[in-house]
Amino acid sequence: MKRRFKLNINHNSEFELDLAPLLAVMVKLVPVLLVSSAFVQMMIIETDLPQVVQEAIQKQENNPKSAQIAVEVNKTEGVKIVVSENGQEKIEVIGFDSNKKIDYATLHAKFVEVKKAHPEIFKIDLNPDAEIPYKDLVKIMDEARKVRVSDVRFPVKDPKTGQDTSTDYMFPEVVFSNMLDG
Amino acid sequence: MSRRNRFSVPLKRNQSFALNITSMTDMFTILLVFLLQTYSTSEVNLDAVNGVRLPQSASEKNPINGVKLSVSATELKFDKKLLASLNANSFDQASIDPNDSNFIKPLFDELQNFNKENEKLAKTGNVLLQADEALPYSVIRKVMYTASMAGFPNLKLVTTVGQ
Repeated sequence: MKRRFKLNINHNSEFELDLAPLLAVMVKLVPVLLVSSAFVQMMIIETDLPQVVQEAIQKQENNPKSAQIAVEVNKTEGVKIVVSENGQEKIEVIGFDSNKKIDYATLHAKFVEVKKAHPEIFKIDLNPDAEIPYKDLVKIMDEARKVRVSDVRFPVKDPKTGQDTSTDYMFPEVVFSNMLDG
Repeated sequence: MSRRNRFSVPLKRNQSFALNITSMTDMFTILLVFLLQTYSTSEVNLDAVNGVRLPQSASEKNPINGVKLSVSATELKFDKKLLASLNANSFDQASIDPNDSNFIKPLFDELQNFNKENEKLAKTGNVLLQADEALPYSVIRKVMYTASMAGFPNLKLVTTVGQ
């Protein structure tokens, strides 16, 4: 009688997983993702126009001692970084490499140098000539935005807490200052 | 038994069969992982514009909402609407104001109309500019100048991820 209720468990038995519900979910999910996928990932570079940076300009006007950094780009000389401070101008010229292209490595090094000397400045005025290609302008902004060497950081004061901290940003604010010129 | 009956295949017409979907599930799993990788998390999805080769940049900022302008070597568009034509990196004479060589009249009019129709978006003053990488600054400057005159001073340059 006891043997009648003993369960017969076969430990070596195989079973098949029902994948149909999983497949149904995937079939619905794939079209949704296909529609919302961005195969060309796009980003933006923010550039402030003079109207927007009025506050920043006013701050600088209120503080005549603060340095102004202008970056001029032309096809004959290359890139010229002009640092104006206390009525004096310091000019750095970055010419072209052997392929007649702007020497971006040197340009980046110069930006790091200028930033080290003026860690409080985050804005540059970009004055490109009319014939400078848009691609070169984006590249120059890239070189100026962030430092590439990981161990170089610049001191900055947190205005809320008043504590000293550091950042790898150099000149993230770019103003096309000759935009309104005729 | 006739010779014909001897070679006939016994067919069971009402027989059910189980489809093996394991390989299909594998394929979908790979596809799903790939699509999840390319899934865009930004609030705005920008479509690539025909004839516009965007420059590459190391910027990490996702696109935000704004007026979408595009400039290729041959045309200036507001979203998908053609506003002006370009020839050899200069706008056609009809679209440039005779008193101001940097002022693109059709663009200004279109942005003014947009200002009236979409006040909320217009208040942000954001312009997403998709411009061809080979265009000279003179062309970009005209677009920027006109946009700022029409009340859109916050220019965002759209680039592709690179470097």
